Order: sequence, then structure tokens, then C-alpha cells
Amino acid sequence: MTSTAPKLGESVRIDRGTRIKKFLVGAGPLLALIVLAGFFTIASPTFSTPGNLSILLTQLSILMVIGIGLTFVILLGSIDLSVEGVMASSSLVFVLFATNDRNDFEFGIFAVLAGVLTGSLFGLINGLLHVRLGIPSFMVTLGMGAVGIGVATVLFGGRAPRLLDDGLRVWGVGNTAGISNLVFIAAAVLAIAFIIQRFTRVGRYGYVIGGDEPIAKLSGINIRKYKVLSFVLSGTAAGVAGVMAATQLGVGDTTIGGGLLFTAITAVVLGGTLLVGGRGGVVQTLIGVGIITVLANGLILVGVDPYIQQAVQGLVIVIAVIASGWSLRRRVRVIK
Amino acid sequence: MSQTTAAAVPRPKLAVDWKGQIVSALPLIVLILLVIAVTINQPNFLALGSVRGLLESMAPILLLALGQTFVILTGGIDLSFAATASFGTVLLALWMPNLGVLGVVAVVATLTLIGFINGFVIAKTQIPSFIATLGALGLYSGLGLAISGASNIRIGESYQAIGWITDLRIAGLPLSALLVILVAVVIAVAMKVLARGKSFHAIGLAEQALLMSGGSTLRIRILAFTLCGLFSGLAAVMLAASQHSGGPTLADTLQLPAIAAVVIGGTAITGGVGGAMKTVVGALIIVVLRVGMSAIGVDPAFEQIVYGVVIIAAVVLTIDRTRLGVVK
Amino acid sequence: MSVPVLEVRNLTKTFKNVVALDDITFEVRQNEVVGLIGENGAGKSTLLKILSGIYQPDSGEILRNGKKTVFRGPKESATAGIGMVHQEQSLVTSVTVAENILLGSETDAVTAGFYNWRKLNAKAQKQLDKIQSPISPTDKVENLSFAQRQMVELAKALGVEEFSMEAPVIVLDEPTSVLEGDELEVLFAQIERLRQFASVIFVSHRLDEVLRVSDRVYILKDGKSVAERNPDTADVDELHRLMVGRESSAEFYHENEQTSVAEMPVVLSVDGLGKRGAFSGVSFEVRKGEVLGISGVQGSGREELTRVLFGAEPFDTGTIVLDGKSVRFSSPVSAVSAGFGYIPAERRIEGIAQGLSVQDNIFLADPAPVSIGPFFVASKARAAAEEWISRLRIRTPGRGTNVSNLSGGNQQKVVLAKWLNSPRLRVLILDHPTRGLDVGAKEDVYTFIRQLCAQGIAIVLLADTLEETIALSHSIFVMRDGEIQRRFDASPGNKPKPVELVEQMV
Repeated sequence: MTSTAPKLGESVRIDRGTRIKKFLVGAGPLLALIVLAGFFTIASPTFSTPGNLSILLTQLSILMVIGIGLTFVILLGSIDLSVEGVMASSSLVFVLFATNDRNDFEFGIFAVLAGVLTGSLFGLINGLLHVRLGIPSFMVTLGMGAVGIGVATVLFGGRAPRLLDDGLRVWGVGNTAGISNLVFIAAAVLAIAFIIQRFTRVGRYGYVIGGDEPIAKLSGINIRKYKVLSFVLSGTAAGVAGVMAATQLGVGDTTIGGGLLFTAITAVVLGGTLLVGGRGGVVQTLIGVGIITVLANGLILVGVDPYIQQAVQGLVIVIAVIASGWSLRRRVRVIK
Repeated sequence: MSQTTAAAVPRPKLAVDWKGQIVSALPLIVLILLVIAVTINQPNFLALGSVRGLLESMAPILLLALGQTFVILTGGIDLSFAATASFGTVLLALWMPNLGVLGVVAVVATLTLIGFINGFVIAKTQIPSFIATLGALGLYSGLGLAISGASNIRIGESYQAIGWITDLRIAGLPLSALLVILVAVVIAVAMKVLARGKSFHAIGLAEQALLMSGGSTLRIRILAFTLCGLFSGLAAVMLAASQHSGGPTLADTLQLPAIAAVVIGGTAITGGVGGAMKTVVGALIIVVLRVGMSAIGVDPAFEQIVYGVVIIAAVVLTIDRTRLGVVK
Repeated sequence: MSVPVLEVRNLTKTFKNVVALDDITFEVRQNEVVGLIGENGAGKSTLLKILSGIYQPDSGEILRNGKKTVFRGPKESATAGIGMVHQEQSLVTSVTVAENILLGSETDAVTAGFYNWRKLNAKAQKQLDKIQSPISPTDKVENLSFAQRQMVELAKALGVEEFSMEAPVIVLDEPTSVLEGDELEVLFAQIERLRQFASVIFVSHRLDEVLRVSDRVYILKDGKSVAERNPDTADVDELHRLMVGRESSAEFYHENEQTSVAEMPVVLSVDGLGKRGAFSGVSFEVRKGEVLGISGVQGSGREELTRVLFGAEPFDTGTIVLDGKSVRFSSPVSAVSAGFGYIPAERRIEGIAQGLSVQDNIFLADPAPVSIGPFFVASKARAAAEEWISRLRIRTPGRGTNVSNLSGGNQQKVVLAKWLNSPRLRVLILDHPTRGLDVGAKEDVYTFIRQLCAQGIAIVLLADTLEETIALSHSIFVMRDGEIQRRFDASPGNKPKPVELVEQMV
């Protein structure tokens, strides 16, 4: 009997129609990016000039770093609403430890470390409060975001402290081979994030916890630890972004992250990372960030009011989430 | 029936839920303690002038918080309510010069419609409320900025149509605040007296059971967000009146205090527990806290930190972990 | 005579009122396939949960290769070499086959938190090779069919071999329910292969399959192992009888109160009803005051059928006619307006509104009887609530008590009151209405069911036991794998025997 039994794996592999559909959904964002870039190249004479492309890449950098951090948290099925506050605090901590016009600290590269670790600390607190006290992530990070703005306001002390360390400022305003240094920093962050996502437990277990948390628990995985670590990653990324923004603007500021949370979440969702968790990744976020930036840059060149852009982004994020969750709808289902 | 109601079934005794009672009364206790503490520090805190200022600053926060209470009772959240109110003030500034009182009605109606749309989308498409309202926040904030050119617009003529809100006093106390508290009382009474008055609580506590009992959770959810929109509209009118102008970010700073008011008042973020009067207590705590902080000389910069910490602390106390299952 | 690879002796497990396992003893020997059969509630699933360490037995012992062992959790069970292939899919679809097979036990494939994919894939391949599966370790689970996923689960279960020195015991819990045609043959081939290096416990409600693959078969009933048979010599009729033989008392079910409904008008009529993947071609009628019992094991489609009737799930084909009018409910809202009621199996989540009072629960479905317009009449509500409490003998400190504080039986009575309260009620669907209830509460429920019939309510009943179904119903049909197998008349004096039902169910 065994010799005549059909071999497994060949008879009912998922059919072609579904495979094509899956491919389109997976490649959708990339196609959208290419189409958009093509459209603006035609619509605006300045879009594809090296000057504008350089600006585009720079605009993309800080957003991408935030997006990468968010991706780790969103993969879990959670959210981090504190990024703007964390960026603000990090930028101020960084500037105040580096050579600045407020105090005598001149810690140079250690100031960078301090700024980044500020972000990590916020992430750690977010993660611990969420995991140990069972508070939903949107609430914890909403509160901690306020704390972040608050801490930044206190450090701000009425006037923005200016960054005087030229060696560090060049990160934000200088170019290497015609491309802003910020782009290289962002690229490095992306590379590290990809390695984490693909080759470490934090990355892989993130997918498992986001994909099916009860099964993860039954397998004996320390869910708490990996959730906290994901929030630490998000906070650290926000810290890096805060430092990057500070070198670019030359000051530490409470509003340094203004509007970025919203745009970053849109980017992550557009790139294909699902809000329910378990699907997506940092490469997808790269594409989503690309789409948002090309859109923003292109629309300005074409003359569209940036505020209308923000409004449209709001619509887009809702539509994207509806689209990705459409097949999950049920009659008797509870979504809060 | 084969047998009449024979001997009545013996009633078992019920243990008193002490912890529940204490947590429930905590906000009021905190408020009283706060008032005492601030009065000790600043004896004229309870003087008429000071109380008037307190109530004036409480009114718009309470209005927003009342709207949010409906949503949080169902277990959701509306992150767009303050931005929508800002958008409302911009609309007011633009429509009132030509439409007068009609403009006021139109704005309130528009914002109520916005709330309805939010609720409809969330209920029908079954997406999480925080992301849907995050999107709405971007949408209406962006629209407000675009329409107003990112600047405040002064309300010149026809300001009288709404000016009375800020100006009128009853027994020295601002009419605005008294009206809002009255509204809160009406809501609380309605919830007790209407047959379906407990619907918001029911959704928050036992949505699946409600669904399987034939309750239209769809309608209740849409109603909650619609009411939130309505109250955002009312808050917009009040803010425009007190500021004499409309602006795309006018109400934004009230978002956090309003959410804090709901949560500190004792409405659980998981839903099902809470109500209008609790939110009143919460709003009072927020404004007293603010006054208290400046009284003891705390840098206003710390306000945000305090809100953040207080919100987290209140959520921890009131959250019902038994109903959460997997927390995301 | 070699030591059995796995043995349980005098295992007992009780949940609140229910004895799930009652002094059960059985053994599995080397390189053999042992089948477990039994009807709903016989204790199969509890036994498997104990073997996989999810539950702890109250008393008795488990011996692994002759040595006493305790499984404090799934990991310990796995370490002892017991691999479970669950009834519900337990794979994480968002990652690869290799990651699933080694989830939580990657050992040296992950060093210092870093993944060595070559090693991980090789380890997974080793497990896949044991069942000679062409599935690749790098495949994403979301791209695999159900049958392929089950093979991955099998490979994962076989992974326990890496941890223990002893030959593994693989437990297959209803593995055939998601398979069709050729896939079944592939599974049976796998089981043959497994026999060479492992032992297998095969649990299924499909008697013919169990008899086909097993070397020995245990019959479970009411938490006991009542018999052990050899499939080659077993008599199927005898197996059926062993599965159900039980004392039952007509008085317990108030059978004398059952009246004939042959003259009554038809309230609910269903024709050709079908839902893809659940059931098809279902047709039946229910008259006023009639109890229609539906029997079937899990997976027979009966639970989905009741949810479709209540509007909680959509259906694909057929019609539902209520009081002569064709209806198609888009949600329970319209079903309840039309006169349906539903007493769910998941009482705590779908039956009672936890956190609300007894009174609030009673008026949850229909506040109209105690309201004037939109306003609640407190005095009316108070009086009505008190009346229900005494009429249904609900044991509660008061009508304002949080319903979560009541015992299961009393909660069920509150749910009953909720539906009885509404004058709209025409059809009441009861889904496992006596689950978890003590004997007194059960008898109360039976009494109320009789009263409901007397009031002219039509009842669709999914009972917990065959005895309940037979005693309470006027007519019965048995479902298996989504189709009606046979109908029975169950009027008093003409009741079918449990064995006749079981024959159709398994």
C-alpha cells in the first residue's frame, strides 16, 4: 500500500490563482512606489533631478528610522504612540550632553550614546508597564509619550539649546559623495534592523508572538521578555531619530518629532506590515516610507498644499487598514 | 406549572467587594484631599474668583471628556476628538460671519456627522478604534490647517451669538461650566432611566453576550462615536467663544487632559465601568491638580509628565485584567 | 513481556461538578497503534490534555516505560517523548516550517540569540525525513494546505524524539477531520511508517478509521475505560453498545410530561440548508411545542447549524422559513426580533453578560415588557425580576447581584429567563444547556423545557448526552460530517435506543 500512496506535498500545494493573488499583495507596495515615482517624474520637471533626489533621501532617513522601530512593535500586534515624545527627550538629552550653548558638557560621541539610550530607556519603561501591568500598548505609550514631551519641556527650559559640536553637526548637515550623511546612518540602522529581524530571537519570536500568541505561550517562549525587547528596539530607534534630527536642525526641541508618528504609522501600514501583527517587516517599511516620501515630495513639487497631504494621509491609513482586515470580518466578532 | 412557587429559594449571603468599593470611591476621595491640600497652601483657593476661574477652565475639558466617556465605556477610544474640535473652531470662524447662529448649529451638526462617520467605519469594517480615529485625527487636523492657512481666525461680527457662553454668570459662577455639569447630570440620569441606558456599559462588559442576545452592538457603537462628535462640536463652540477666534490647533492641548479626566474619574479603559458623573469628578481633579501644581510652584513644563503618569496610574487601578485575554 | 511504553493507572480528574476521568487505566505498548473511541464527554480530550501536561490528574499515576512520571506542563510531556498532534491547528502561520517544527526547542541552532539557519533547517529536515515528506523547511506555513500543515505538525510531534532516549509516543487527536480522499491514505501510510519506530495513540470519532489503523482499541465511556478489543475480531454492534450502555431514568427527564405535537402547526421549516465547509442538504421541520434533538459528534456540523439558524453565521444554500415567511438573518439582531432565542454552550461569554446584575441580564434581550416607550419602569422591572427568580428557582442574594457571582446552574437559569421574558419568543435553540450543571440544576432545566413546550415554544436541542437527547426530544436527527444520516421519531413510548444514534454518529 505504501508504494502506491501519493507523495505528500505535491498534490495540493496552494493553487496558482491564490499564489498570484498573494504575489500581487506582497509586491503591491513596491509596484505602487514605482508607479508613483514614474508619475512624478513625468508630472514635475524637478522631481528626478539629483538635487531633489538627494532631498528626498534625506527626508526619508529620519522617517525610516522611526518606521523601523515601530515595525518591531507593530509586528507584535501592539503599537507605540510615544515616538514623538521620545524623540523630543532624546534630542534634548543629546544636545545638552554635547557641546552646546547652555552648559559646559562636551561629551561628543558619548552624548550621542546618551541620547540614544534615553530612547532605549523609554522603550524599556513602555515594555515593562505594558507587559507587567497588562495595560494595552496604545494607552501606555500615549501616557509615556506625554511624559516624553514633558521631560523634554523641562530640559528645554524656555529656549532651545544649540548644538555647537561641528563634528556632530556634520552628521546632519554634511554630505558624503553628494548624499546626506543622515542617509548613511539610516541605511546602517536598516541593515542592523534587518539582521535583528532575520537572525535573532527578538526578530523571529516577534513574528511568532504577533502571529499566534497563545501558541507561542504553549511552546514555552518567554513572551514577556521578547515583547519588552521589541519596545526597547522601538524606543532606541526613536532615540536615534531624535539625535539625527538634532544634528540636522542644530538644536534640541520639544517639537522635533512633530507629525512623525502619524506619517511613520502610515508608512509601516502602507508597506504591508499588518497592524494585527505577524506579517511584514523592515524591508516592507522601507518601501512604505519610500511611498510616503515620494508622495509628499512629489505633491509639493506639483503644488499641493502640505496640509491637504496630511489629511489625505489620514484617509489612506484608514483605507489601508480596512483593506488588510476586510477578509477577517465576522458577524459575531469583538474589535474594540 | 406543575407546582406553584413553593417555598422561596433561600437567598445566599453575598460577600462585600471591599476592594471594588474603595477603587470606586477613590477619585472622589482624591479630589477632596486635593482640594484640602491646595486650600491649605492657598487659602483663597475656595474664594469665588478662584472657583470661577477653575470652572471656566474645566468646562471645555469636561465637554470633551464627556464625549470620550461614551466611547471609552464601550471599550474603544477616539483619538481624534480634540483635533476635530479644533477643526470645528475653524469652521465656526469661517461660517459665523455669514450664518450667525445658524453657523453654530451647522458646525455642531458637522462635527456630530464626523463622529457618526467614525463610528460607522469602525463598526462596519471591524478595525480597531485607535487606528481609525488616528486616521481621522490626521484627516481633520490636516483639513483644518489647510482651510485656515495654519493660523487663527478672529471671530469678529456675530460673535454675540456665542459670546454669552463665556460672559454669562449665575451667582457669580460661569454659566458655561454649570451648563456642562447639568448636561453630565442629564446623561447620568438618562443612563439610569432609559430602558437601553446601560447599553454602552453592556458593550464594554460583555459585547459577545449582548450580540448573542440580539442587541445591536453596531448601533450602540455608532451612537457612542456620534455622541463624541457632538460633544466635540459643543466644545468647539465653547472654545471659540472663550478665545474669540477659531484655530486649527485650538483644542489640541486639551486632548491629554480630557482623556486623563475620563480615566482618573474611574472609567476603566477596558470599558463597562464608569459614567458621566465620574468624568465630572475626573475633570475637577485635573483642573485642581493644575492649579495646585502652579500654587506649589511646579514648573508648568511638568504638567505633561504629570498627565502621563497619572493616566497610566489610573488605568492600572481600574483595568479589568480578567476580561482582557491577550493584551496587545 | 516488555514494559509498556506508556501506561496510565487509575487516573481520575474532576472539574467542579463533572467527573471527566473516572479511575481510568490503559496502556500503550512498543510499536503499536492504540485506538481510543468514545462519544462526547467520554473523557478522550481530558485524557489527552493530561498526557500532554496541560491538566494535572487529581489522582492516579502515569508511567513512562515503567517509571512513574509527572507532566507539569507541555514541555515536560514533550521531554518525556510524547508528541501531540492536536485537533486544532497549532502552527504559527507567519513563520517557516522549520521555525514551527523547532519552536521553543531550537537548542544549538540558535546561539547567543543568533539564528544559524543552516543548522535550523537541517534539524527540521531531519524530522521531515522521518515521515518522508517533500515539504521544505524553508516553506512558509501560510502557503501550505491543511493536509500539508498536518504533516508539519506530525514532524513537529516527532521532534520529541530528539529530547528523550525512549521511543516516542505520538498522539493523533482527530487527525482525519480536515482531510479528504487521497490525503487520508497518505495519513494512514504515515501511521504505518510511524509504527516502525514509535507508538501511536489514535483518537477519532470515525469508528471505521480507528478500527482500520489500530492494533488494539479502548472504548471510553463516562470517563472510564469500559473495554478493550482487537479490531480484527471486534463486533461493531458490540462496540456501539459498549459506548453508550447506561442507566437512565425516565423520571429524571420528566418524560411523562412530554405530549404529542403531531397536530401542531409547523413553526420553523428548513430546506436544503448548507454552509460551505460545515454542513449541506439539511432539511427539517419543527412544530409548535416540539423538541427537535440533533445528535452528532464534534465536527458533525450541528453546532454550525444552530449558529446559522440564529443568524450568527451566514449560510450559502437553502431556505429558512419561520411561521410561513422565508427569512435570512444578517445577524442575531434580526433573528431575535423575529422570535429566535439562543442558549449558548459558552455560557460565560455568550450567555450571561458578566458584570451586569441578574435583573439587567434578564431584560438584556427584550426590555419592552418592563418599559414604557424608551423609559424603564423600575417598579415593573423589580417585580418581574423577582418573579423570574422565584419561578425558575434562581439562587441569588438578590436581583442586583452581579451575575458572575452565581453558580453555573443559576447563571443558566438567568439566561433562560432572559429568553422566556420576551413575548416574541417562537423558537429557542439550546446548545449544550446542561453542560457543567449539577444534578439538581439539570433536572430544573428539564422541567423548564417541558414547560416551554406546553407554552408552544419550538425547541431545537443540542444536548450533552444521548440520553438527554432521546428523553427530551419529540424527534431526532443524527448528523455526521455535515449531513443528516438518519431521522428518528422519539415520541413517548417510541423512543430510540442510544445505540441506534451512535451507529449513525461514528
